[in-house]
Amino acid sequence: MAIDRKRIIEAMSQIEIVGNEDGLIPAFGVFVQQLPASFWNGFAERLTSRVDADTLEAAEWLLVNAAHECGYHTGYGIITSEEWKAVVEPMIENAPEDVLHGAFAIFTAWGWAKAEIVELVPGEKMVVRAYDYYESDVVKYGRSNKHSAYMIRGVSAAFMDLAYGGEYDSTGETGLRTFKCDQVKGIECGDDYGEFVVVKAEE
Amino acid sequence: MTVIKKTELELDHRFDPASCRHSLNGFTSVLHCHHYSALYTQLADDCGMLDGRKLLSECAEDSFFEVLSAYFKAKGMECIEDRIAIAEQYYAAVGLGGMKVVCAGLDSGKVELSHSHVDEGWMKKWGKRDKPVNFITQGYVAALFSAVFGRPPRTYRVDETEGIVTGAEKSTFTVVVR
Repeated sequence: MAIDRKRIIEAMSQIEIVGNEDGLIPAFGVFVQQLPASFWNGFAERLTSRVDADTLEAAEWLLVNAAHECGYHTGYGIITSEEWKAVVEPMIENAPEDVLHGAFAIFTAWGWAKAEIVELVPGEKMVVRAYDYYESDVVKYGRSNKHSAYMIRGVSAAFMDLAYGGEYDSTGETGLRTFKCDQVKGIECGDDYGEFVVVKAEE
Repeated sequence: MTVIKKTELELDHRFDPASCRHSLNGFTSVLHCHHYSALYTQLADDCGMLDGRKLLSECAEDSFFEVLSAYFKAKGMECIEDRIAIAEQYYAAVGLGGMKVVCAGLDSGKVELSHSHVDEGWMKKWGKRDKPVNFITQGYVAALFSAVFGRPPRTYRVDETEGIVTGAEKSTFTVVVR
């Protein structure tokens, strides 16, 4: 693999992002914000802990979907950005697999999760491990019986959409949700790392 | 001639290579886009059975109260004008928009936005709507008033009376003690 993950993380983690004169951060074709992780965790955890068992799956799907759409559109913005062209693109020998590895290096560099691909079956399946992620902060003591990494699930599926789901569609009508992701391990549940399995979505 | 020195926000941005986390002024922070904030906002708006709007607003209030209170404490900042200037600058620095506290007292106040990540992100994704939608900023404003006046969270009720998302030139929030 030609992707130098360490170099990408070193380079991309140093990018300073701050609001412009309007207090907005237009970047990668979207508006970006940088908020405390406790805010995102707080909403996801309070919501999923308050709904009844019958509604939990739907609530979780909506949280994952927020990240899925975010990962699809922002992910496309990232892999077509000047920063990507300068740092990652020269390392790509085998697309789209190297693109995926590069995307997870950026995913790590920007603090979403310290995550990497541990298994990749082109066009079919991807397994991602996350060794540190802010979504596990919802548990400070003991173990939860509920996986909480909705953001990683959504973004991982979105990256597979971008790699194997056909041409990028800015409307999200095609290309988006061609893959789905399940979390099978979680630091918040007492495991040493979070593990995420992405497979094709059912037709 | 009198020289007015404006209080400037200091942002301490760090990246920890071991955990690969970013922090702003000691708080783990994370970049997300307007699709993410718009979909969380839509989820809160649709979740009537749990009062999702209130839930999202309270989460924002709790997080930003911690951030602002910690900053004021770390800098030994007691002056109300300085505290408000910092809160307005922090809001802009993290990309939430352009905020101006029009007036603030122990019992009431008014805040306006010239630009708003939530509103402009919502419109970029779905277009205008007929009701204000900035529940995150409702929580931010409640946190701002509590932190500035040294009161606990949930002291203030905040209502968004005008929203950029509805076509208004600016968003307006009214504040009153509960």
